[in-house]
Amino acid sequence: MGKQVDLLQGTLDMLILKAVSLGPLHGYGVLLRIQQISGEQLEIQQGSLYPALYRLEHQGWISSEWGESDNNRKAKFYSLTAAGWRQLHSETEKWNRMASLIASILRTTSEQI
Amino acid sequence: MNLLTRFLSWLKWMVKGQRLESEMETEVRFHIESRAADLVRKGLSQKEAMRQARIEFGGIESHKDAVRASVGVRWWGELGSDMRHGWRLLRKNPGFTAVAILTLALGVGANTAIFSIVNAVLLRSLPYRDPDRLVRIYFNEPGVGLRDVPFSKPEMDDLQTPAGVFEDVTPIYEGSENLTGAKQPERLEAVNGSFTYFSMLGVTPQIGRLFGPQDFVPGFASTAVISDALWHRAYGADPNVIGRTLLLDTDPFTIIGVLPCGFRHPGPTTSGDAEVFGAGGFSGDPFPPPMRSTRILVSGIGRLKPGLTLAQAQARLTAMAAQLRHDFPTDYPPQAQWTIEIQPLQETLVGNVRPMLLVLLGAVILIVFIVSLNIANLLLARASGRQQEMAVRLALGASHGRMVRQMLTESMLLSLIGGAAGIATAVGTLGFILRFVPSNVPRLNEVRIDWVVLAFALLISILTGLVFGLAPALHSAKVALGAAIREGGRGSGFSTTTGRLRDVLIVSELAFAVVLMAGAGLLLRTLRDLLQENPGFHPTQVVTANTWLGVPNDPKTDPYLSIPGMANFDREVLRRMKAIPGVEVAAITSSLPTTNSNPDAVGGLRIEGFAIEDRPVESSQDLRAERIRISPHYFKVLQATLLRGRSFTEGDEDGKQPVAIIDESTARKYWPTRDPLGRQVRFGKDPATPWTTVVGIIKDIKNDGLDIDGVPHIYVSVYQDPNKQVSVVLRTSLPATLLEPQIRHEIQSIDPGLPVFNVVSMNDILDRSLASRRFSADLVGGFAGLAVLLASIGIYGLLAYMVSQRSREIGIRMALGAGRDGVLKLFLQKGIVLAGLGIVAGMVVSASTASLMGSLLYGVRPHDPAVFVIVPVLLFAVAVLASYLPARRATKVDPMIALREA
Repeated sequence: MGKQVDLLQGTLDMLILKAVSLGPLHGYGVLLRIQQISGEQLEIQQGSLYPALYRLEHQGWISSEWGESDNNRKAKFYSLTAAGWRQLHSETEKWNRMASLIASILRTTSEQI
Repeated sequence: MNLLTRFLSWLKWMVKGQRLESEMETEVRFHIESRAADLVRKGLSQKEAMRQARIEFGGIESHKDAVRASVGVRWWGELGSDMRHGWRLLRKNPGFTAVAILTLALGVGANTAIFSIVNAVLLRSLPYRDPDRLVRIYFNEPGVGLRDVPFSKPEMDDLQTPAGVFEDVTPIYEGSENLTGAKQPERLEAVNGSFTYFSMLGVTPQIGRLFGPQDFVPGFASTAVISDALWHRAYGADPNVIGRTLLLDTDPFTIIGVLPCGFRHPGPTTSGDAEVFGAGGFSGDPFPPPMRSTRILVSGIGRLKPGLTLAQAQARLTAMAAQLRHDFPTDYPPQAQWTIEIQPLQETLVGNVRPMLLVLLGAVILIVFIVSLNIANLLLARASGRQQEMAVRLALGASHGRMVRQMLTESMLLSLIGGAAGIATAVGTLGFILRFVPSNVPRLNEVRIDWVVLAFALLISILTGLVFGLAPALHSAKVALGAAIREGGRGSGFSTTTGRLRDVLIVSELAFAVVLMAGAGLLLRTLRDLLQENPGFHPTQVVTANTWLGVPNDPKTDPYLSIPGMANFDREVLRRMKAIPGVEVAAITSSLPTTNSNPDAVGGLRIEGFAIEDRPVESSQDLRAERIRISPHYFKVLQATLLRGRSFTEGDEDGKQPVAIIDESTARKYWPTRDPLGRQVRFGKDPATPWTTVVGIIKDIKNDGLDIDGVPHIYVSVYQDPNKQVSVVLRTSLPATLLEPQIRHEIQSIDPGLPVFNVVSMNDILDRSLASRRFSADLVGGFAGLAVLLASIGIYGLLAYMVSQRSREIGIRMALGAGRDGVLKLFLQKGIVLAGLGIVAGMVVSASTASLMGSLLYGVRPHDPAVFVIVPVLLFAVAVLASYLPARRATKVDPMIALREA
């Protein structure tokens, strides 16, 4: 396991939306998927996942349904709603714009000014 | 959309909170156990895996709390605990709680009661179908300064269709009719309209049917509809009443329907509610042939076509009136500028009581403000005592917002309890209060406490809660930590921020009290002036009674058709009245002072046109006066002053030279430079009417109301110009109640079919005419007294509190040599400065708002100097007294004790 990176402020919601967009997941599954696709490099405070999940559901971006987990236990599964898709799309776009902007600023050398 | 989603989600939590909480629990447990299972798979022991999983998850409760916050239900739980905390505090201070809730109950209760009246009378729509489209139609002649002049059948027909703005119109004929055939002859209020009257208002009958096209006749239909009240009173609510015959003014009518209980005729009546309704065509016998200039109709209502605004309709009517003036120049003399005006029916019914009701509403709102300022003061004093509690909470990490919320929750709890008590008070006393509301306020039967009133009461409670809660709440949030803990710990000293806030509260309380006192002062002065107003006669020891001779549709059945017939009746009445033991003088009039019972004055002042000899005819348009028919001893009974000439005699009868007595107003207005005695006038426009000679001048009698001046009156002899409305006036020392059976017996001995009604003393009549002024003056006066009491309690409380808080300082001052006078001055000065500021502020507000009350005043200017001198002096004296008591206590402080205790 390499060195883990702390989650940037405010990006957890976006990661959850992304994780859920790949298929319905329960809370623990969201955690596993984010860790999996980040190559185990992201450190997520596990408990803080739930306030975020409930907030997203409260805002109507994800919806939840009780179902059965792989080990045949009752679990709550979250999936992305249509509004969630739009939200994820716009968040992604915003993030990409911001990231490239920041990157270009950081690339700046003294000759370019 | 998003807001809706969030609200639904929040609502789900509020409703199914319990289940969602347990689901959250399940979810968290699933997470931790799944993580533990994964850890076991990595080689940890079961126990160690569970421990590790829990650590990784973090504080379960704080995460759950974060979940609750994220869906917005956390504050709900906090609200519950704040409420419990507030409740405990209220119970711990029963004295404070009782005072606060009692004064709040009074304030909110008064608001609720007054608002329920305002709501029913002014705000709620009239109880008819599409009431917004109902209008009253007026015909005016602004060129000669006349409003609401009579109109003719052809003019009504012009409105019906050619005008193009009305769905329907109907003339309204309001008047008295004698109901005979029942046990006791009764005088009823009757309304005659066209057969569309009820369908226009959208009324459905209780039983039977209402008028329809089958009831149309050019004269009067022989069918009648009766009110629910008459049905119960005269027929015992017999369902077989339909088809029975009713005798009205000796004409037979067949009852075809009974109106529902809540129905009221939307118009003025001389007294009480209309109880019989007839339909007429207003164009055939007994009506004169319909000619444009035969203006026999007195009022009309109409229903506007849907989609037409009042302004659009008015514009078209104004244009139509102009066209008619152009087409019929002889019927509409150009100088009169005859025109048509419409007003919302609701406005015409309630417009005249609006100023009074709004002033009352303003007064109760001021009272509730003062109440809440007073409570704010009490709370602030308590908040200073709680500074330490607040400081400790802040030190332990409570946020400022959280503290403000807690304080506000406590105040809200208090205000809602007070509000509930107030609503209960209002519900319990509304019936009692309504008994004191003068009967000239229309729609009182519709007053009840409905959802609108409850919402208003709730709003007032919340607003008062905010007013008295915000000050201490904001103050508590501003507590400077270190200082508060120290200050609180020492239990001495006087925080300057709290002090300033309390000063502001006291000053505003005093200012509000000044406004109320000024208003009350103006109303009371008006009332006092009116009570002292010389009505032009001596009302004491005068008893009055009324009868109505009836106007049958068939003249052949009218025993009082001819002038001698009526004059003989009048003479016989007077002979019998004089014979009643204890009656000194008796007389007859067609119009009792201040009752508006003059049939020529239905719906207000209706004054007749007349002509003066030697004056050009055109100018006769401007000559108007109220004609009153009296018997010879009328002025003797009233003890009015004959200035010149002579009174009427028994000899001023039919066939002799017609004579008149004018009052000073008439003399001044129409004969400003010449001697009116011996001059001649002629009523109406018919040149064949004989001239009447002026034989006397009487001092003005306030016939139209104590607050109405300068209306010209012309008195004529009842023997020459008799009247169907016969009012008897008797000078006697006996009370009306004792005389009533004898008067009734004597009049009904002449004609058993005549009703005798409203047997009351003249003083009662004058009193009744002032009822609404007395009501508003008494009520606002009472509120002003309450305001002064509350404000003086406030100023007393503030200074007493200051003295107790600063006793140590006083002790030190005295120990250092300050004299008792100095200490007294210190506190007295404070009270005087506050009182002065409050009074000045209040005077400024009063002076700028007093003119709003202008229409309620008589003989007093809105900026009456007496009121604006007495009010501040009085309040200042009370404030100084309220400050003196605690200030004197300060001088009694024993320096030794004060210093030791500190």
